[in-house]
Amino acid sequence: MVWNDVEIMFGGQAGDGSLTTGDLIAGILKRLGLEIYTYKDFPSRIRGGHTNYVIRGSEHANYGMADMVDVLVAFDLEAVSAHVDEMRPGGFVIFDNSSETVPADLRRSDVTWYDVPLAKIAKEELGLALVRNTLALGVLAKLLGMDPAVVRAAVTGVYERKGEKVVAINVAAVDAGGAYVERHYAEWPSGYGLRARPDGDRLLMMGNDAIAYGSLVAGCRFMAGYPITPATDVLEWMAKYAPRFGGVTIQAEDELAAINMTLGASFAGVRAMTATSGPGQALMTEAIGLAGVLEIPVVVVECARTGPSTGMPTKTEQSNLNHLIFSGHGEIPRVVLAPGTVEDSFYIAAQAFDIAEKYQCPVFVLTEQALCQSKATLPRLDLDRVKVEREKMQLEPVEFGAYQRFADTPDGVSPRTIPGVEGGMHLAPGSEHSPSGVITENSKNRTRMMDKRMRKMESMHDDLPRGIVHGDPNAPIAILGYGSNRGPIAESLDRLAARGTAAKFFEFRTLWPFPEDDVRAFLAGAEHIFVVENNYSGQLERLIRYVTGPLESMHPVRKYDGKPFRPIEIIGAVERFASPDERVLVRVNRT
Amino acid sequence: MSVTLTPKDFATATPAWWCAGCGDYGVLSALKSALAELGKTPENVAFVSGIGCSGKISGYVHSYAFHGVHGRALPVATAVKLANHDLTVIAAGGDGDGYAIGAGHFMHAVRRNANITYIVMDNQTYGLTKGQSSPTSATGYVTGTSPQGNPDAPINGLAVALAAGGSFLARGFSAHPKKLVDLLVAAIEHDGFSVVEVMSPCVTYNKINTFAWFKEHTYYADERPGYDPANRAHAFDIMMAEGPIPLGILYRDARPTLETLLHLPATPVVAADLTGVRGELDNLQNAYA
Repeated sequence: MVWNDVEIMFGGQAGDGSLTTGDLIAGILKRLGLEIYTYKDFPSRIRGGHTNYVIRGSEHANYGMADMVDVLVAFDLEAVSAHVDEMRPGGFVIFDNSSETVPADLRRSDVTWYDVPLAKIAKEELGLALVRNTLALGVLAKLLGMDPAVVRAAVTGVYERKGEKVVAINVAAVDAGGAYVERHYAEWPSGYGLRARPDGDRLLMMGNDAIAYGSLVAGCRFMAGYPITPATDVLEWMAKYAPRFGGVTIQAEDELAAINMTLGASFAGVRAMTATSGPGQALMTEAIGLAGVLEIPVVVVECARTGPSTGMPTKTEQSNLNHLIFSGHGEIPRVVLAPGTVEDSFYIAAQAFDIAEKYQCPVFVLTEQALCQSKATLPRLDLDRVKVEREKMQLEPVEFGAYQRFADTPDGVSPRTIPGVEGGMHLAPGSEHSPSGVITENSKNRTRMMDKRMRKMESMHDDLPRGIVHGDPNAPIAILGYGSNRGPIAESLDRLAARGTAAKFFEFRTLWPFPEDDVRAFLAGAEHIFVVENNYSGQLERLIRYVTGPLESMHPVRKYDGKPFRPIEIIGAVERFASPDERVLVRVNRT
Repeated sequence: MSVTLTPKDFATATPAWWCAGCGDYGVLSALKSALAELGKTPENVAFVSGIGCSGKISGYVHSYAFHGVHGRALPVATAVKLANHDLTVIAAGGDGDGYAIGAGHFMHAVRRNANITYIVMDNQTYGLTKGQSSPTSATGYVTGTSPQGNPDAPINGLAVALAAGGSFLARGFSAHPKKLVDLLVAAIEHDGFSVVEVMSPCVTYNKINTFAWFKEHTYYADERPGYDPANRAHAFDIMMAEGPIPLGILYRDARPTLETLLHLPATPVVAADLTGVRGELDNLQNAYA
């Protein structure tokens, strides 16, 4: 049986290498021509604690997890007890029984069990306990019918830089895994078989890497950041690549410094960014307001995680939307963009810099752990789609006295000089100021300057990324969501359609300024509206209700247990409420 | 550049809003003189300040001035320098801005050693909020927020900077304009992070640390035998000694700047080619194929 949609979960203890092996499998499945989505579910510590890595390979790009796990590679009993109930009937478990056994009550009879003493074989037969994971890969590859040549090549590629010996023992481990299956389980087929397809010219990239890459291509040459999960990858990527292109990356002492550095670099004329998560975002709030009033372009990447406070630092959530839109004292023009895929993360990040520079205001790129730390396959990126326009930056000398840094203009945007430009000297003060930058508390000036700055929220309208309508635009069932929920919602549409329920999906790509017209048009004629989001209070739904007012037909679908949606959870919600008219909050948290 | 600049070239049309007799006037005047003496041009000076009476100074120096939020002048200034190392970058603020709300950044800016100058205008009080105790107020200093006397020990900013690896540490007095100009010139010329703490009395709220008090309780370190600004232990001794407050350059050494250690290209980051490197940028995709 060929099964080209498979979700594999590697479960074990943090630090035992399951993430590396997970990446390896993702690479192999890509080589076999499948579309990949990976999801890391790991604890906030370096050693110990249950961790798992989900790799989904399928013929269609799904950008999210499947309903259930097909294959569980369990390095310990904890992985079995934590996840055996998520398994699809007919799936299989590879269990390391070197020192533990699966008790009868966990040993589901509708899945196949392959008990393999992985640690024992690694240590006793291969002489290196560390290769246990690669051994498991060998077992898995055999059971899924993967091409051994592709697996060996991938293993070689990963361990090449560690030397021939390391490559040799890992290749031997793959072979040993396959041989074990042949010896012990020849009569026990897994029921799964992957059929290779051409890989094609595709990439396998993590969301955070795509954001950083898009930023660099868009001309970002300065990044300041403070390490924080799940945003650190962006800082590390820029630290590696920005200097190669004449740029600079600096690790700040805290997020207060990081955002103020970003403002400083941008004031000096460099396209600049920072990246953080909820706790850091909270610290940056004051300076974001400063960027608004000083009309300094800054791009702030928010990789959301579970809050409040420390929350669950490595788990996903969409509870920072309110914060990005409403935080801060006073009012400033600001933009919140949200990519829905790894590919879109690249283009949205790049576009963020153009919008920030053109409208001289803070632009947030909002993503969350389930997207920014996930890897996905994508077509090769088209750099020609990224323009680097310096817009109203004024690099030629200006006449001092006549030039006004904060000139009141029809679109609210003023010509911007940077240090070094003759005649363009000015004070950029966080205090209210006149068009020329002189601090004043004059009431008329205050009104005029507020109007001037906030006018940008209108004038930027046509430059903002439009949302995408998926599915039949006339369908009576309307679903709205953004970010990592794009995958599971879009997949739900197809499956609902196959089950006879026509539905459509509005994928937000700009969340602020809120796309009122597009939302209104999308909702016209909808009989049931589902707002899918990963938070408790319905932050997205409230934004929609500013436009629609309260609606009996609006059904919140919310989840805030730290895990992303699986499509069946959305399908279940839609099917439950599409006909009865009761309005019930659907919470699909795992209990 | 053949044009000779004068302090007036750094004056702004906006009059300073400090109290008559404020020590900050002396700092402003000395800074304009130092910039003129060094032949700096206003368009190539970036001046960053924090919040407080002292923070207002950025509005009074004709330059590219950034008057940001409370306590964050140093991160801004550091980044301005990294963005364009051709600029002369100066940050200024008070004892509250630098040693209280901004204390975290102070230590890190010192240890980073970017080639910028930081002027701390120390009046041992919070002037703009009407006279509360500051990190440099004496223990026992009675204010509206410390009616029973300030319970905290005063901080010695220069000694903190020395411990953090400071490469140029000086103290001036706003009533000694010529000496202050010399200190500021030396600080701006120093290749690294220079700290100039200026005793800048608050004539309205601080009735203890007055001009007269400073005249009586300060001395110039270079006028004493054994003065050796290259000797860290000696510098620490005179900074921490009981008794009169030492003025002048108290410590100076040469160590690599942040710009050097980050291997910044000769071309300032702000002038980096953004569009001519598309091919090279495109190649980065190959690592993900």
